[in-house]
Amino acid sequence: MSEQVYASEDAAAALARAQELSSTVRASTKWSVRYQVIYGCGSGVMVLALGLLGQPYGVVLSSIFWCATVGGLSVYAARQRVARRGFDRWRSGLIIAWGLLYNAVLVPGMIWFQGVTAWWVAGAVLVALPGLIGGYAEARR
Amino acid sequence: MSTSRQLPQGAHPRHGLDEVIHAPVRFSIVATLAPADKAEFAFVRDTVEVSDSVLSRQVSTLEKAGYVAVTKGYVGKRPRTWLALTPDGRAAFAAHCQALRAIAEGTG
Repeated sequence: MSEQVYASEDAAAALARAQELSSTVRASTKWSVRYQVIYGCGSGVMVLALGLLGQPYGVVLSSIFWCATVGGLSVYAARQRVARRGFDRWRSGLIIAWGLLYNAVLVPGMIWFQGVTAWWVAGAVLVALPGLIGGYAEARR
Repeated sequence: MSTSRQLPQGAHPRHGLDEVIHAPVRFSIVATLAPADKAEFAFVRDTVEVSDSVLSRQVSTLEKAGYVAVTKGYVGKRPRTWLALTPDGRAAFAAHCQALRAIAEGTG
């Protein structure tokens, strides 16, 4: 093969084909935007339910809601036909960031701010941020 | 099998082309897998626009060269086959594309 003449037009066409295929794959990985936005919104709703509904309803309902959300998202991700390069690492980062923020909202909230609407609304927004920012960044890729 | 090697100075860039990846269908398969962590067999088949048997044969060649990893599993009760580029496959594809760019830019 190396002895064959390989014209620059052939090389350019091959590179164009690779670019075209790459675009097709990227378009098929946009599900990860939905995944992250739903994760963000779901975590915000879960924190609101946890902080603003009276106990024990808040804990029970938010736990059921969050298990359903995470379970649904896991099934949704597993059913996708293609995952973009690096998404598993990205998702791990998202979950770690979410975990840190969730604990930063939950622990003081349960000790000092039970039923304080301002704390829990702000906390819900904060906890939703990793998913929303991740979804935005993913959409801009 | 791979030709992704350091070239002597002044060598024509076509010598940097990888013989395994160079075949059009295999090039398309590798180009499809490059931006992905993994992709379903059926997704690659539809994207590259080849039949199951052609894809199987070409994937087998890429697998033997150590460029593609094939894993089988289930989603629910449905069997699925996943394809992914190995680190060697990524390196070979990058070197191949570099050679293509050199040729396209007329240095070849």
